[in-house]
Amino acid sequence: MTGRVFSVKRFAVHDGDGVRTTVFLKGCPLRCKWCHNPEGLEGTPQLALYAQKCISCGLCAAACPNGAQSISPRGVDRERCEACGKCAAVCPEKALELFGEEMDTDALLPKLLEDRDFYEESGGGVTLSGGECLLQADFCAELLKKLKASGVRTAVDTCGCVPWRSFEKVLPYTDVFLYDVKAIDEQTHIRCTGRSNKLILENLQKLRTCGAQVEVRIPYVPDFTDREIPAIGAFLQKLGGIRAVRVLPYHNYAGSKYEALGMENTLPDRLPTSEEIAAAEQMMRDHGLTVIPS
Amino acid sequence: MWKTFDLDKPYIERKYHDPDEPFNAYRRRAYHGWTCDEATGEDDEEIRAGLEALEPEIASLPHPVAKARAIDYVLKHTRIAVSEHDYFPCFYSWNCLPNRITFKKWKAEVFDEKLPEIGELMHDMNESGACAIWPDFDHVVPDWGSLVTLGFPGIRERARQYRAKREAAQPLTDEQRAYFDGIEEEYTAVIDFVDRLYRYASEQTHEKAKLLAPSLKRLRDGAPETIFDAMQLMYLYFMISESVDFYQVRSLGNGLDHTLRPFYERDLANGTFTRDEIREFLTYFMMQWQAIGNYWGQPLYLGGTNADGNCRICDLSHDIIDMRHEAGMYNPKIQIKLNDNIPQDFLKKVLSYIRGGDSSFVFCCEPGHRRAIMAYGATAEEAQDFDLRGCYETGVRANEVSTGTGYVNPLKAVLYAMRDGWDAAYGKQIGVHTGAPETLDTYEKFRGAVLAQIAHLADLTFRCADAYDPYLSYINPSSLYSATIATSLERAYDGYQGGVKFNNSSILICGIASAVDAMMAVRELVYEEKALTIAQFNEILDANYEGHELLRRRILCSPHKYGVGDPLADACAKEIADFFSSYVQKRKNVRGGVYKATMHSAMQFVRQGKKTGASPDGRLAGQEISKNADPTVGMDLGGVTALVHSVLQLTPSDYHESFCVDLMLHPSAIQGEDGLNAMKSILDVYLHGGGMSVQFNVFDASTLRDAQAHPERYRNLQVRVCGWNVLWNNLSREEQDAYIKRASAV
Repeated sequence: MTGRVFSVKRFAVHDGDGVRTTVFLKGCPLRCKWCHNPEGLEGTPQLALYAQKCISCGLCAAACPNGAQSISPRGVDRERCEACGKCAAVCPEKALELFGEEMDTDALLPKLLEDRDFYEESGGGVTLSGGECLLQADFCAELLKKLKASGVRTAVDTCGCVPWRSFEKVLPYTDVFLYDVKAIDEQTHIRCTGRSNKLILENLQKLRTCGAQVEVRIPYVPDFTDREIPAIGAFLQKLGGIRAVRVLPYHNYAGSKYEALGMENTLPDRLPTSEEIAAAEQMMRDHGLTVIPS
Repeated sequence: MWKTFDLDKPYIERKYHDPDEPFNAYRRRAYHGWTCDEATGEDDEEIRAGLEALEPEIASLPHPVAKARAIDYVLKHTRIAVSEHDYFPCFYSWNCLPNRITFKKWKAEVFDEKLPEIGELMHDMNESGACAIWPDFDHVVPDWGSLVTLGFPGIRERARQYRAKREAAQPLTDEQRAYFDGIEEEYTAVIDFVDRLYRYASEQTHEKAKLLAPSLKRLRDGAPETIFDAMQLMYLYFMISESVDFYQVRSLGNGLDHTLRPFYERDLANGTFTRDEIREFLTYFMMQWQAIGNYWGQPLYLGGTNADGNCRICDLSHDIIDMRHEAGMYNPKIQIKLNDNIPQDFLKKVLSYIRGGDSSFVFCCEPGHRRAIMAYGATAEEAQDFDLRGCYETGVRANEVSTGTGYVNPLKAVLYAMRDGWDAAYGKQIGVHTGAPETLDTYEKFRGAVLAQIAHLADLTFRCADAYDPYLSYINPSSLYSATIATSLERAYDGYQGGVKFNNSSILICGIASAVDAMMAVRELVYEEKALTIAQFNEILDANYEGHELLRRRILCSPHKYGVGDPLADACAKEIADFFSSYVQKRKNVRGGVYKATMHSAMQFVRQGKKTGASPDGRLAGQEISKNADPTVGMDLGGVTALVHSVLQLTPSDYHESFCVDLMLHPSAIQGEDGLNAMKSILDVYLHGGGMSVQFNVFDASTLRDAQAHPERYRNLQVRVCGWNVLWNNLSREEQDAYIKRASAV
């Protein structure tokens, strides 16, 4: 079975326990304003152009079957581009990059096992992330099953906004869920992400009910999620059984990716201070939660 | 009198250099710092004049004695200082002044008169950049155990006893007599010098002199009694050896913590000093090397494993790294012997210092080093207690000399294979004839030609080293060092000439990644795609890729590079690495030892790069070649785990002298406790995978600024921020600015 992958990152240190390899899958049901992986939002392949790396050699224009490239560094005609990736393949400067490659679980597995010694030494493993990886739940289940059969510890990094049956598919092969909680107030959640949080919170409760290991991740984004911190703490305390909580400070380093993809940059301006993060972490501790410091 | 370091630090920093004088990394010793009391002695010019007057007197003497007289002259006449700002005396003349009438003269005699052809060959090898070679007196560590147990007078007395024993059995040969006379005279010169320092310190009234004078008196008369005495002895031995005698001292202590620990424990138990006082002495002690500031850095190592299996890391080890860290020193540099038994709190402390930007720590894996050392005949006990004798060089403690010979440049070997041995940049046939380009009609033939060229460069190195090796002690007798080594005394033979148990030579390979990447490019373009012939490729290289920039960029973007886990490139690297180590390690040297393979580069990756024309890996003429076992700069796109795997498949411990890789990480990739654990897991994989030495480079703001100015050199630099990562070059200028600003605050 194949899935649409936009990146495989080795030596991922903050995506679960130990040293991990993280597989990023295309497509996400949410549109968080602060999204730092815009290349993961759409389910279809996308072409990125890093204009500052372009040397105007013209190889891309010659390779494009649709005439969508010109020799200008700003020259992707998005109307005509079908994201076939032929231009990226010939670009000598890697100024063009295709996000979204169909990959087979059998082809992917050996790559994910390459760092097995690091997983073993560090208690790490493989994390599936995105986008929202559970939009491709069947692919995830097959990949996770193969990883488990190879003795690799697994994690699923999810926004939770997928049907419960998607969770059911991966549950038997997932050691820990890294579960995003962005807001408890539904209207705030809609304002931040474009979607209601009802399904997300229901799924989280179901995961707890069936005894899954869950680490909750709270993106701290000033003027968006910051006021939700007390409510999230209270909610998680009441829910109980959460393995750990991590407050993720918002950073705005993804701006160039929006530009490269020809997407509207929605990143908020204000960054959190270290004091704000420390206060949020303390609030989580005050709710009896175990905090992994950021 | 305590807690004075912050006040004294600016003074000590000026001890050996005047910051207003021009900085020359390679001629540091030519400068002076403190002027010293002019009444205490002469300046350099006066001493040089005195040495010239002495020259006829010593001209007919055996070299060990002649050298000892010249050293005695300098030690009797150099200005000295005992400052209220320092616990350690100052040598005004520290530029190996005796060399003018000893070393330089004798070296010229050997290479100009006795071995003129070798002199000419070495000139060609050095100037072409094919192989940097010179007689090496640098990688020496005395038996510190003997020195701190016996002191200078005890070392001299022990030598007298060995002499008497030998004389009782049979008359000494002229050579043996010269050997013992040299030791007698040089150690007498040292002891007289200590007496001179003592008398001068006794005249000073400041608090530090009151502590220093009695210590010097003890060292004049016998062995060190306190940890302060032991540090004083180490400093004096170092300064006399490196700055007068012309033998480098490539470790402070045989494990500084191990050598000083008996004094440390005794002083604390007796109440001689408090722990805080010892920590203060340690700070002043280490600060001497920051003041000296040689560009090659002064190594010392910590830890190791006792015969009972316990790690040697102790409170003193913590004090050493803590005080160095608190004082913000970049020198000395510290090697940590790494094994599973290392205390985790110590390891994590070191890793956190590294992560904070202190990249001067090197980890040396004990199992790999032991395997390497036992491969040439050392016992398990000798291997257990191995020494580190430089940046990464290793060997048997107090019983091995391994002289560096040549740095073989394998990228030149690739270029020679493409031109039948002709060096286009130097304009001379340096390589061996391996066939005109058109005859290399398969990659297999080309590959074979490259290996033949590497073997040829190694052979040339053997030829030179084997020719000059018999003259090492003729050029530079090692009385100061030899007297510390029991085996040398037993054999009555210069330790540097064959007087220790393991009299080895090392030969280095410098630039393996560049060579592999170049071979991969030839394979791809010439033999697979048939886009070019070798002759056409040579023309492009002659033009330094001018008019062929697209081709060059294509080459740079090829996935077949060493260090990214590419099976083709890694297999090629493995073949070259195995070929070199097995080829050179079969070879015996002429001092009764063996050649040991080495994979590290010192500064040669820059110097040899300057002498190497454009190469098929896309490298332009004059650019640096790869260093150590590292990938070519900008080519390690597979990340740290892939690099570690590429490196480990080379079987590092097959390199019996040394093997090192640099791992580059960004601070954001190793933030928090998770990050420290990740760094530790890299070490664990490397240790358990058979690694030798490894060091981390954690990028800081200044590196990021450089990356901004030279993006082509940092194509692999990733900025990892919590749950995501981006390539540095993919950030906009403004975002990079923001990141630099943030990194500055780390």
